[in-house]
Amino acid sequence: MSKFLRRDFLKGLVALPFMGYFALSFKDNILLEQAKKKTDYLKDLGIDHLEALRFKFPKWNSDNTKPIRLGIAGYGWRGPVLMRALGHAHPNWIAENTKDGKYNDELLSFLDQEDLNVEFTAVCDAFSFRAQDALATSLNEVYPGEKKGKRKPIKIFATYKEMIESKEIDAVIISTPDHLHANMATIAAKAGIHVYLEKPMTRTIEEAKALRDVIKSSNIVFQLGHENRQQRSYEVAKELVAKNVLGDISLVETFTNRNSDFGAWIRGIDKRASLQTINWKEFLGDSTYQEFNPDKYFNWQRFNEFGSGVTGSQFSHFYDCVNQVLNLGIPEYVAALGGTYYFKDARDIPDVLNCIFNYPKRGLSLTYDCTLKNSKFRGITFMGTDATMEIENNVNVYKDSESVKYKKIEIDPNKTIFSYFPDPRVDAVSSATALTYIKNGFGKTMIENRIVDTTYLHLKEWIDAIRGHGKPCCDIDRGFEESVTFILANIALDHKKTVSWDAINEKAVVS
Amino acid sequence: MENNHIEKSEYSNIQVFALTFLRILIGWHFLYEGLVKFYAPGGWTAELFLTHSVGPFSFILKALAVNHTVLMIVDNANIWGLIIIGLGLFLGVFAKPFKIMGMALLFLYFVAYPSLAFYKVSVPVEGSYWIVNKNLIEIAALFVLYCFPSSHITGLDRYFRYYRESSKRKLD
Repeated sequence: MSKFLRRDFLKGLVALPFMGYFALSFKDNILLEQAKKKTDYLKDLGIDHLEALRFKFPKWNSDNTKPIRLGIAGYGWRGPVLMRALGHAHPNWIAENTKDGKYNDELLSFLDQEDLNVEFTAVCDAFSFRAQDALATSLNEVYPGEKKGKRKPIKIFATYKEMIESKEIDAVIISTPDHLHANMATIAAKAGIHVYLEKPMTRTIEEAKALRDVIKSSNIVFQLGHENRQQRSYEVAKELVAKNVLGDISLVETFTNRNSDFGAWIRGIDKRASLQTINWKEFLGDSTYQEFNPDKYFNWQRFNEFGSGVTGSQFSHFYDCVNQVLNLGIPEYVAALGGTYYFKDARDIPDVLNCIFNYPKRGLSLTYDCTLKNSKFRGITFMGTDATMEIENNVNVYKDSESVKYKKIEIDPNKTIFSYFPDPRVDAVSSATALTYIKNGFGKTMIENRIVDTTYLHLKEWIDAIRGHGKPCCDIDRGFEESVTFILANIALDHKKTVSWDAINEKAVVS
Repeated sequence: MENNHIEKSEYSNIQVFALTFLRILIGWHFLYEGLVKFYAPGGWTAELFLTHSVGPFSFILKALAVNHTVLMIVDNANIWGLIIIGLGLFLGVFAKPFKIMGMALLFLYFVAYPSLAFYKVSVPVEGSYWIVNKNLIEIAALFVLYCFPSSHITGLDRYFRYYRESSKRKLD
């Protein structure tokens, strides 16, 4: 036995040193291999480092000491949000976001905003209580920046015209019902006042053409309120498309799925509403006179005479998202069908709608599907020969299982080959509509690892451009494309016929 | 001399070295393949391998990927099969049955993607192969090891054999 041990025992263990080395090192090698596999294909695709994610806040060298005097037309639902983005919040909003004397994240991020040095000087709102809300906002003492104490109270104007002619403002935000947009923006531009106009731009093609001409012949800075242009996810998507990650894109799908009264633009009637508190004539603007109707005043989106249909209220957002990624412009042909099947109220806009926007020269079709009776969330989907891209506030790219280009990437087509997941905080008490709004990429974005309000960024871009720095990204040309595109769908829906766009004569042709 | 049966090998030293070297290499390969799958982030699955399989037996392989439970069993059998076969060959323990299992497993991989231009394979492969591919060569290498075992000399099987021999002697 001892001889056996001495001479041969070790022979049976010759593999042990190798096994020892294997056991010590295999895990590191597996991890290295896994990391390399992932970066390898991202590198091959040229998307391991995206320029869109290296974006930094523009820092302008020249001073902004001269305040810009700003007036707002319409201080209902959107107006207060826009003014907050400029550093002016209503005291009630401050109270709502303060608990036991402590500010919540929302309020802290408001206070963290750069002071854009915008002086809130004027308001006009047809509903007197809303004008009072704007006044209270201007007097609120909690605001961003180093300045402290009371600010000057704003002036309340009975009419928009008076506000424009008052010489009290250098710039105006128009956040009124859609039927007033074109006229108000035209008046301001002619008076040399810079315009930030809420979307959609106009309600008819004629209005869009006329407004474009006025803006182009003026020296004012015009920004259309598609704040999703500031959302990083669309910049990421744009870069992925430019780097041909998707291959040829043949279909883009957009959606509105909502299943609530609020989502269907049933938003109540203020109990204080009366002809004494509402300037009904000012609200009607240039439209034909009709009897006072508070439902139409507060829920104007449901009526074609004041709103711009589901396409103007909703699709215009998604169109602009797709347009900034693909630079689509106006479609050649548009078809649309829909109806009002579920909401038996006074509305004359559809609650189920399907639209097709055809771009033969680009070899692609853009679709929009809407139901106001189902809330399944669907992101914008770009379908390419090599990959599918879904955009919400995240961007996810899935390889196509038949893609020749990605044959070598051994990844399950259900798993992403690329994912941008900025994870901006979402308010836990947000309603379903608000959550969908945020998921769609509106609201917040992430820049330099900071969560930033896209409305703030969009307004800042406009303010900076007024001061001579940079250009607004959603200018009159983008606005023209937005308006004409959704208006073509409205015409197709009205006529139940395909509509084509005569680009030379800038006319819709009903076939 | 008690250990004559073990010591008296029909191989030369260089032959023992060559056979042991080959056995350890194949063991290493199996073991590492199994561990890579074991540690795969989000779990490894043969689903794509099976669903894209071609060849005369692909209908069986494809069927395995349809049912979630069956697929889970197949995945685990494959991972642990690779690890255990790898360890067996590497250390030279129970080498004979593991060589047979190894050949069987490789044969499944081989028939799932036969190297014939006739079949349109959607999973990319490096190199050029016609009928003969690396799986088939590894099967052949295992067959050589099966015919010319080395674990009873340079593996843990040596000790099983020793005790078997010595107890046999005692009985004699």
